[in-house]
Amino acid sequence: MTMLILSVDSTATPASVALYDDRLIAEYYIHTKLTHSQTLVSMIESVLTVTGVKTEDIDRYAVNNGPGSFTGVRIGVAAVKGMAYAQDKPCVAVSTLESIAHQFPYFDGIICPCMDARRQQVYNALFSVSGERIERLCDDRAIAISLLLEELSTYSGRVILAGDGAALVDAAAPERGYILAPEHLRYQRAASTAMLATTREPVNAASLMPGYLRLSQAERERNEKLTKE
Amino acid sequence: MIKIETHSTTQTEHLGSRIASVLTGVEVIALFGDLGAGKTAFTRGLCRGLGFDNGVSSPTFAIVNEYRARYPVYHFDMYRITSSDDLYAVGFYDYLDRGILVIEWSENIESELDDTAIRIHITKTDDENTRSFLIEGMDDYADIIG
Repeated sequence: MTMLILSVDSTATPASVALYDDRLIAEYYIHTKLTHSQTLVSMIESVLTVTGVKTEDIDRYAVNNGPGSFTGVRIGVAAVKGMAYAQDKPCVAVSTLESIAHQFPYFDGIICPCMDARRQQVYNALFSVSGERIERLCDDRAIAISLLLEELSTYSGRVILAGDGAALVDAAAPERGYILAPEHLRYQRAASTAMLATTREPVNAASLMPGYLRLSQAERERNEKLTKE
Repeated sequence: MIKIETHSTTQTEHLGSRIASVLTGVEVIALFGDLGAGKTAFTRGLCRGLGFDNGVSSPTFAIVNEYRARYPVYHFDMYRITSSDDLYAVGFYDYLDRGILVIEWSENIESELDDTAIRIHITKTDDENTRSFLIEGMDDYADIIG
């Protein structure tokens, strides 16, 4: 029996909604400066209307629950939590970075999704790919771009940069020759989130939570020091 | 750096309006200065210069007010914000590049400001109505602002 999944991403500037069972039925992606509180619910409504799917047909919800912008993450998680709670449907939270990484199977090398966390930091994790197998190399974290570049230099082989921080990392070390994911594949997409959610253990709506990352230790110490002065 | 003195609340508001006239809509304006220095008066003038003249007040409790002026203006009060975690949790980074940010009590978040921020230090003087303004990052517009 196939499982119908509705997935949502609004963790950064783009937003997307996908409907997925054993194939991708619909995906609605926008990349504007409009706030997700204005766009996301009507995007979901459009996808359901166009496909003729009713909310009661949905078996499972999925959402990128961070890292990402504080407001964006909350909007996505709250929207999914609300819909799932109303009909007591299970939910799956997916890391935004992992969702990006799964847009690059068969890339032989290291996938480096980076989301702009401001102040020369990115939210990042590293993944290695071999064929369709994508393996996580570290936890999601907030990391200074300079430290990430140091770490990347310890890996041999090709590196692909993706996410809205990819260009920042590339600009910090153009001589490295890292591959910058092409624009139409670079950002997180709900289709990838849905696909990952097919095999994950779901939780109930009440347990679905945003997954914020704390800033790096160095950053916090600097701030604590500043506060004391 | 531009140095200007104002001698009344009205003059402080006018200074805000003159600065507003050269903004492009994505600036970060960091205000530094004590209670009663004139940060809110300055912001009121700035918003008036952008065609918004309706209830600018210090967002001490709300932390951020949004004004629909010619450009969106996000008026922050960082008095109770003391860490970058706090700053993240009020959505500060989500507002950048979406409008003009005017930030009262920038002292509390100075480490988070980048080089492109316009910094305005307001100090009281011996004369109770006179305020001294030190404006960094607007030297190109000295003839309009001064």
